[in-house]
Amino acid sequence: MRNSIGNRAASIAWPILVAALLLLGWEISVRTLNIRSIILPPPSAVLEAMAQRHDLLLAHLWPSLYLTMLGFGLSVVGGVLVAVLITYSTIIRKGFYPVIIVSQVIPKISIAPLFIVWFGTGTMSSLLLAFLVAFFPMTINAAMGFESVDEDIHRMARTFMGSPWQIFWKIRMPSALPHIFAGMKISITLAIIGVIVSEFVASQEGIGYLIKLAGGLLDTPLMLAAIAWLSISGLALYAIIAGVEGWAVYWQPPSDAVGSGGG
Amino acid sequence: MIARGLRANLAQKSLDVRGFEPTIMAAGTRTQESGAMRSATAWPAADTAPPGGHSGAIVRVSALQKTFGDLEAIHHLSFDVADGEFLSVLGPSGCGKSTLLMMIAGLIGPSGGEIRIKDMRVRGPRQEVGVVFQSPVLLPWRTVLQNVLFPIELLKLPRPQYRRRAMELLQMAKIDEFAAMLPRQLSGGMRQRVAICRALVHDPSILLMDEPFSALDAITRDEVAVELQRIWQVNRKTVIFVTHSIREAAFLSGRVVVMGRRPATVIDELVIDLPRPRPIAVTEDETFNRLVRHLRKAIEASHAQ
Repeated sequence: MRNSIGNRAASIAWPILVAALLLLGWEISVRTLNIRSIILPPPSAVLEAMAQRHDLLLAHLWPSLYLTMLGFGLSVVGGVLVAVLITYSTIIRKGFYPVIIVSQVIPKISIAPLFIVWFGTGTMSSLLLAFLVAFFPMTINAAMGFESVDEDIHRMARTFMGSPWQIFWKIRMPSALPHIFAGMKISITLAIIGVIVSEFVASQEGIGYLIKLAGGLLDTPLMLAAIAWLSISGLALYAIIAGVEGWAVYWQPPSDAVGSGGG
Repeated sequence: MIARGLRANLAQKSLDVRGFEPTIMAAGTRTQESGAMRSATAWPAADTAPPGGHSGAIVRVSALQKTFGDLEAIHHLSFDVADGEFLSVLGPSGCGKSTLLMMIAGLIGPSGGEIRIKDMRVRGPRQEVGVVFQSPVLLPWRTVLQNVLFPIELLKLPRPQYRRRAMELLQMAKIDEFAAMLPRQLSGGMRQRVAICRALVHDPSILLMDEPFSALDAITRDEVAVELQRIWQVNRKTVIFVTHSIREAAFLSGRVVVMGRRPATVIDELVIDLPRPRPIAVTEDETFNRLVRHLRKAIEASHAQ
């Protein structure tokens, strides 16, 4: 037990140390090489921008986060529901599932301008793009999860005359949970990308809009400050999902729970 | 197909609400019988009425046939199992013994012939049957106790009442102290014991076991086999035990039915009238080895054909 805590501390400490060293190297090289702030400001300047203009940054961060979470939430609900249909309907499994899988190769981000044409430059475009990019990995992972039920477990439940309803809730759903969480971890990062890209293309608010605006003004520290905020938020959202996963998928050894994020 | 089976069983369920004794006979009772052979173990042929005046066979397999496409897996298979008997179905791998067991469990339908349990034709899974599979198939998110109670949930039986029975079963299998643990924290042998408890929790009269020890190492196998014998003696279930291990079949059974190569049919039958409880050391006795030899020859003969 003590050993695992020790390992855990080490697994956190090392990346932090490496990140700190990288930031330090950045700071030193920018200063010694006299690189202009417009090209690359040192981390200290980025931190300064983050602190001084946090009102502006947060004002633009919230709408983006809100849309990200909403798009992500819809993709989870939609993805799981479609996965259930794929699992239980032969027509959908044989007809739609291959289409869904093949459509994975379409870079859905490229549809963003089309969404602007259809839904205007408002929040609707951002939300729908976030939903669209997050939906597919969610669906595929959940469908894989529902299919992952061991044939023997299925048989066992049938010998005890389990109804399809019981088999779904007591066997399929828990079996699928690790896969669903793996899908959620992919989807949350994709949902952020969806929102940001949509804000790049056309929007009057949001952190993506701010990054583009700061770029136009050659305010590189503000740009990097916005990117930093965005990264921190993304990390926090991911951490929340990983935390909920650890609690919900309690039967899996912790190492597995971390490993399943790759999917 | 499955749905039909389930529906048929729903009707079955209501017919079959038998009284159930929550307490399991104390382990002490077994000593009374240890000297004298249990009558069930000594019945030479299944058709003979068992002493005690009960109706004859509890399971009756007649002219059973199963084909998968062009392949005939089981050909005209017939045998009876008496109430309270420990019967092994012995045969080489892939001879269709598991298929047979799945048909008795009502999970797959026969292509010809029929199986009757308590004189009712098997058309789907039934409550009076408990099944132990090759692997323990425990649900990893449930504790040992929750796993054992899983059938109770599925069958919608009163949980508090059966909770006590589940604990008693775990106690009998000597794993009650692990009741709150998750399956991954248990060894292979312990997991299979949990699976046996789960198959017994709803008090079925028939226990079907499909090579339940095949995933265990040799030492654990012996250990669990001795445990199973004890559990059987305490519970007096009818057991149909499918195995490809001659030694296991001879050690556990009152009677062994030998199945030949595909298409499988009964090629030999042997009564094992060794006194119970049989210690694992019995496997070194000459009498035991004579029985093992007999069974081996029967199987070899079927290969030679």
